[in-house]
Amino acid sequence: MDHPHFRITAAIAVMGLFALNSGAAIGSEETDTLQRQLTEVQQHLRYMQQTYQQQIDALKDRIGALEIHSDQTVSQSSALPTPAATSADNGGLRIGLSGQFAGGGSSIGNDALENLQAGAHDPNQNGFTVQNVELSIGATVDPYFDAQANIIFQIDTDGETVVELEEAFFTTRSLPWGLQVKGGQYFTEFGRLNKQHPHSWSFVDQPVVLSRFFGGDGLRSQGARLSWLTPTDWYSELIVGIQNAKGETVTSFLNAPGEDIGDHRLIDRDARDFGDLLYSARWLNGFDLSDTVSMNLGISGLRGPNASGNSTDTDIVGADWYLKWQPAYSQRGFPFVSWHTEVLRRRYEAGDPGDPTQETLEDWGLFTQALWGFKPGWVAGLRWEYAAADGDTAADPLRDTRKRFSPNLTWYPTEYSKLRLQYDRDWIEHSPERTADTLWLQVEFSLGSHTAHEF
Amino acid sequence: MNRLRCILPGLLLLTISVTGHAALQIVTTTQDLAALAEAIGGEFIKVQRLTPGTRDPHFAATKPSMIRKVFRADLLLVIGADMEIGWLPALLQSARNARVQPGNAGYLDLSNAVPMLGKRSGTVSRAMGDVHAKGNPHYWLDPRNGVHMAQAIATRLGELDPEHAADYGRRFITFERTLNDKLPGWRAALAHLESKPVIAYHTSFIYLANAFGFRIVDEIEPKPGIAPSASSLSLLLAHIKAENIGLLIMEPYYERRSARYLNEQTGIRVAVLPQSVGAQTGINNYFDLFDAIVTTFNDAKDN
Repeated sequence: MDHPHFRITAAIAVMGLFALNSGAAIGSEETDTLQRQLTEVQQHLRYMQQTYQQQIDALKDRIGALEIHSDQTVSQSSALPTPAATSADNGGLRIGLSGQFAGGGSSIGNDALENLQAGAHDPNQNGFTVQNVELSIGATVDPYFDAQANIIFQIDTDGETVVELEEAFFTTRSLPWGLQVKGGQYFTEFGRLNKQHPHSWSFVDQPVVLSRFFGGDGLRSQGARLSWLTPTDWYSELIVGIQNAKGETVTSFLNAPGEDIGDHRLIDRDARDFGDLLYSARWLNGFDLSDTVSMNLGISGLRGPNASGNSTDTDIVGADWYLKWQPAYSQRGFPFVSWHTEVLRRRYEAGDPGDPTQETLEDWGLFTQALWGFKPGWVAGLRWEYAAADGDTAADPLRDTRKRFSPNLTWYPTEYSKLRLQYDRDWIEHSPERTADTLWLQVEFSLGSHTAHEF
Repeated sequence: MNRLRCILPGLLLLTISVTGHAALQIVTTTQDLAALAEAIGGEFIKVQRLTPGTRDPHFAATKPSMIRKVFRADLLLVIGADMEIGWLPALLQSARNARVQPGNAGYLDLSNAVPMLGKRSGTVSRAMGDVHAKGNPHYWLDPRNGVHMAQAIATRLGELDPEHAADYGRRFITFERTLNDKLPGWRAALAHLESKPVIAYHTSFIYLANAFGFRIVDEIEPKPGIAPSASSLSLLLAHIKAENIGLLIMEPYYERRSARYLNEQTGIRVAVLPQSVGAQTGINNYFDLFDAIVTTFNDAKDN
């Protein structure tokens, strides 16, 4: 029975079993190894990924830096003034047209009313008044100049249309050290309100003291002024100017011959030397009292010849302040409260030395006005004015003691239109009526360029 | 005289050394631009903003202190697209700083760096309200535009200050990476808004809608910048009911009465969204802004 074949088979079977067993043993060893290897590969991959990511990031950084350098070379030319880009960014020529119209009625007649409403843009008759239609054109000339012209159209009480070149001036853009020159025909920077155009006014009419000292059109003339933004920590601007002293828009100086001031008839006097020009100075300061309150304080002075004699001079000095509050959250710039006050004094040498009627006329006046923007588009205003002069001036409409109290309410449907209702209560020394009550309704529109408002 | 000879060059040297080490003076019209500039410029620049994030930049109250800031600026960053048209031109003229006049290297209009939405061709009449022909200027509310804006700022800072150009580039890359890391999270958190109809107060959220996939179907203002009236609100009420619109979004500076009324009448939820860096306390940078917007949206959802 000894079958070698069987033995071999058995041996193979046993070996096979062994082999199977050992095969299982070998299999688990290999799995461990493989797993270890896999972990190593994974770790390596992660390491490589990190390394590559770092390398990629570094490259991106370098590309970023290079891009910036290459952009720099490409757009380096933008460091030079480019007039085309400038005017395109400014919208090229800015053209705007604004108009104010008023209607109203007073307790006194038209002749008396004209004396009270002495401003050339004031509504001054029972019924309707075209106060002011103003065409404004401005642009950046080139990298060195801006220029602007304002032409006004009015219809006078006789129904005649009057056209005036109100302003036409250039201002420099690129002077160093905070300097700026303005030249041409322009409103003198005296106080805050004189250079504001009627569409920027918060009341229907011009303050009494400004009508008296600067005339109905405000103080404007031909000349040039230099302004310096001083290198202080707060906003501080010094302005000195020199302008022609002659003409009907330079009231208090070489005003229209034939008119009177006090008892003095004005003569025709021309500029003979530098002493016959109008000199002006203004120092304006601005502060932020907090994030919500800002304040401007200014003082101004004028000196020039007047036409009551051949060697007579006028001095006018003034102080002004403006305070504004606006809360942190505001819609369309509302709510706000502002308070604006100006005080002015005039010293007028009337008559040459040796003239028996020679005297010095002293006048002064103030206006103070508060505005409350109580909800978007709605502003309530209150103005108080006082003007007086030394001596017996009770019969003179331009020098008597005058008080005026004016509450008003303005509704701005948008920034481009407004409706204003104003009540004026006047106390008048020169008029037999003594007081006047007047109600005005004003409508205003503006077309074209946004009118950018200064602070 | 001898002493003067010593002092004068000394003073000159002092001035030069002071100016040589002075950080670039950056002035921005809005607080969002200030936040981006700070992110890119870091310690190499000094940033001042002209308007805080709590105010509507259309209607800035121009203050003399602004003239001072613009006068000293090396670089002026503006939103552009007529956003600042009501006050910036007069300010630029008063500030008499040639460096930052439009067209010069110190003037950067960021609306040129982003794809603008809402451009109008053809006739633009003011009868349409406050329509900006150059496009809707509220583009910083798309976080992807933040990247374009940051890059434009980094590029310009590099031009003005080549010594640190590489630093600005690196900070930009960091900014871009952080934003790209955060964007999916914001998107996921606002996924519930996807293609939902939403009412806005003003036309100021079209970029936000574009970025997060909701639809602005109407506004409280009957026309941009025109205050709602009783009749315009009743039309809007009908629209909300007809389309079953569930959400109203508005800036913190607008009046709340109209929104309250619509909420009472229809139950529409109101989300008062911070629209700018600084619009609410705690929003100190561009990323905070979108974190806060996401939180506000989700608070409105849960209410």
